[in-house]
Amino acid sequence: MSQARVEQQRPASGAALLVLVGLGIAFALLVALLAAAKAHTGPIYGEANMLYAALVFYTGAAALYMGYGVTGIERYVSTATLLTALGFAANTAAVAHRWSIAGRPPFSNMYEMLLSFVWTLALLTLIAERAYKVKIIGSITMPITVVSVILMQLLPSDVRPLVPALQSTWLQVHVTLAMLSYAACAVSFALAMMFLIQDDMKTEGFQAITATGMIAVYAGMLITRFRSGNLAVTAYDLDAKQEVMISRGHPLFIQIPDLGWLYLLILLSAVVPLALYVVAQVKKDRSFFDIASKGMFITILLQVVGLAIFVARVKNGRYGAPEAEGLYATAMPANPFLLAGIVGGIVAGLLYLLLLWRREGLQKMMPSADVLDTVTYKIICIAFPLLTLMIAAGAYWANQAWGSYWSWDPKETWAAITWLVYAGYLHMRITRGWKGRRAAWFAILGFAVVIFTFFGVTYLLPGLHAYAAG
Amino acid sequence: MGLKSLWTKIYQTLASVRTGIFLIIVVGVFSAIGTVILQRPTSEPSELQRAYSPETLMWLDRLGLTDIFHVWWFLVLLCMFCTCLIFVSVDRWPNAWKVYANPVRFATAPFRASLPQSVKIPVKDGPAALSVAERIMGRFGFKAETVTENGATGVFAERQKFAVFAVYFVHFSLLCIFAGYIVDGTVGYRGNIMVPEGQALGQITLRDNRGGESKKALPFLIRCDAAGEDTYADGSPKKWWSKLALIENGKEVASKMIIVNDPFVYKGIRIYQSSMGQSSTPKTLVFQATPARAGAPEQVEVPLNGKTTLSDGESLSILRWVPDYYIQDNEVYKKSDEPENPAVQLGLTNAKGETKKLWILYAQANTTQGQDSPYDFSLKGATWAKFTGLEVSHQPGQFGIWIGVVLMAFGLVIAFYTQHTRVWATVIDDGKGGQLLWMGGTTNKNRDRFQAKFEQIKAALQEELGGTTPVKNSENTLTKA
Repeated sequence: MSQARVEQQRPASGAALLVLVGLGIAFALLVALLAAAKAHTGPIYGEANMLYAALVFYTGAAALYMGYGVTGIERYVSTATLLTALGFAANTAAVAHRWSIAGRPPFSNMYEMLLSFVWTLALLTLIAERAYKVKIIGSITMPITVVSVILMQLLPSDVRPLVPALQSTWLQVHVTLAMLSYAACAVSFALAMMFLIQDDMKTEGFQAITATGMIAVYAGMLITRFRSGNLAVTAYDLDAKQEVMISRGHPLFIQIPDLGWLYLLILLSAVVPLALYVVAQVKKDRSFFDIASKGMFITILLQVVGLAIFVARVKNGRYGAPEAEGLYATAMPANPFLLAGIVGGIVAGLLYLLLLWRREGLQKMMPSADVLDTVTYKIICIAFPLLTLMIAAGAYWANQAWGSYWSWDPKETWAAITWLVYAGYLHMRITRGWKGRRAAWFAILGFAVVIFTFFGVTYLLPGLHAYAAG
Repeated sequence: MGLKSLWTKIYQTLASVRTGIFLIIVVGVFSAIGTVILQRPTSEPSELQRAYSPETLMWLDRLGLTDIFHVWWFLVLLCMFCTCLIFVSVDRWPNAWKVYANPVRFATAPFRASLPQSVKIPVKDGPAALSVAERIMGRFGFKAETVTENGATGVFAERQKFAVFAVYFVHFSLLCIFAGYIVDGTVGYRGNIMVPEGQALGQITLRDNRGGESKKALPFLIRCDAAGEDTYADGSPKKWWSKLALIENGKEVASKMIIVNDPFVYKGIRIYQSSMGQSSTPKTLVFQATPARAGAPEQVEVPLNGKTTLSDGESLSILRWVPDYYIQDNEVYKKSDEPENPAVQLGLTNAKGETKKLWILYAQANTTQGQDSPYDFSLKGATWAKFTGLEVSHQPGQFGIWIGVVLMAFGLVIAFYTQHTRVWATVIDDGKGGQLLWMGGTTNKNRDRFQAKFEQIKAALQEELGGTTPVKNSENTLTKA
């Protein structure tokens, strides 16, 4: 199966992609330059322009790294490295510019933390490539930086003064440690994924599990929220920042028109690959797997569309409900389970796509499974002490600012859960000899918890750390 | 089952890493649940009542799920986790101590067979070869000692043997942290106090987890001499500060200007700046005085507890200030502390010392007309006293936390970045009347790096001992050439 795919997609030479990426970058930069010259907003080296340049370079680097992953053409890597370095330079300029305007390091809200995170991740990628000769790592980390920079465009980026609680040197210590440890966790995740690709994991089984999970998520959503073609979401009072209630414990559900049909369609699209998998198993005909994997691709695409429409309609628009007069707004934090379900489905789908990416050429380029396994462990050995120090610095700072070193605030609690997951990984590995696939899954779970602590807690479970969302 | 075997069973269960991992998972899952369900007292009772139906809330309360992090069974879980840590450490201690204090110094035949790294080189002069081995070990940072056992001689060296204790440091540091947390949970307290400018107060309000409040007297009074708020250009708060003085037994014992992030510590009690506000008691009131006969009106500012002289020499003072009044039986009473509907009784004293009492009932008529006064007074404004919101905490267990944190950092560095390596050498018979120098080594982590180092040692040995190729392995099947 994988053989066939390689032959289909292998381009005649590597020049096509290089030229394409080069032209793309030149075009994007030219357009931006013209726009900047016309708009006269701020200096050309300003943060927004530099960030845009970083995005362009990172995107080019991501495309080339992934091209290298697919085709194995070596010369992509040197260009990709150059682009990463250029993007890193632009990123550094953006950080420096913001730093000089704000008069403090950019650590105080989600936008600034992502700015620093992307910077750290690009740096670690360059280091991993130079020092450990893991060329392929960029094909996982660079797409993460691209997604992060795009995400940053959706966040408020104005330089805000620091509220009194954040005016402390411990802010820098705490957030620097957090960025370093989270970036190290991201690298360990990338390595663990590479291990799974290298380790000849059977994608069919994973496909069936993913599809089943998606079906469960969407069936659950539709059973509870499907209202004759509409999707019911919790009404949210944007001014009072709380849910609208009909009576005690009964929130008001408003209906987003026609979204229910789309989600029904997604459910059906997830049933198809599972059915094909079953057919393939029963008939012992592997050709059904190939159709099933195409089906998976379609359902993942539909889910991304579903998420985009969900976000767009939740953010803009007011909707009615049969139980109440008038139109009501809604918000993301009011619908944590829906959002978690949709995002979870997409993440599982993307993991599957990553695994599907395996092919012999790629396996030859990557370090051996043993090396990947060991390096994952070593990176976690770096991440774990950093994580510990990050929590400790946070506790010390909280003791200075809030009068208590531990308040069981959601962010704190989830940081502790992250710590526990990695502590579990280390114990299983050191004392029980967990290696290979089980350890890799553990490392992936750890990074999933990190992501939830970073984004999920900020947007779904606001607490004392709530200023991060601003 | 006898008592002893029951104890053995409990000990074995709690001394296993598997139990530890199970407890980690359970604690993690309940912690996660605690971030999803609204928790008391962080969430107000009204929020909980909005979010859950009465039935659900009753069950959540009964199971302790609305206050997971302080409920007894969560503390029991944490204690079990601690017990597990202790038992695991105790269980493995004898072995670790043996490796540290009484290591295998002489490599006997079965021990030689168990080592992953070893080499054998034919030599003519055994003792000389052993001293060469000792010298080469020294060159690679191993300080070797000569050991004899049953008449046979060998050398032994080890590096960073304290690495075996790393895990004890980490586990002990966790126990320190838990101990500190428990001490703070039992004898520590945390409350808040609002001190208006110029006043000294000594009673803080503690909130329990059920949303109830109780008062606690501090061993001193906190006097707020001044308080203020600096803002940025856009109006958001930049800095809150309070000048505080502590009064113990009637004497001022300490003073400090505190800001957010810079608390006042006195005898283990920490005072934090947490908020800033205006009290509902005015500092001064501003009136407009319009002469009844003729003349220009003038603005006068009267302190609440003082008086101001008018331009014609009469003095004006405030006799009563009622922030929110009502009238019953022709008498003014206070309805609430909110200064929304104030009544002021003014005293106007002339040169002869006669005082005239005048009422301004703000909501009815902001004037003193008809009260037979030489002036018509109307209330124009007020300046308000600031109060500083302070958080007061006493957490004697926090030193356990910080000691634990330092120990843990230390332990983790040892655990991850040091390795206990050991090397042995001895002279053995090759079974054909000749002699072989045997050298072997092992490490507790970073096998590949040690392997590379051992290869270097091997090369150095071969170079010094005549460059003969190492003997093919017959005794040791585990050896890698």
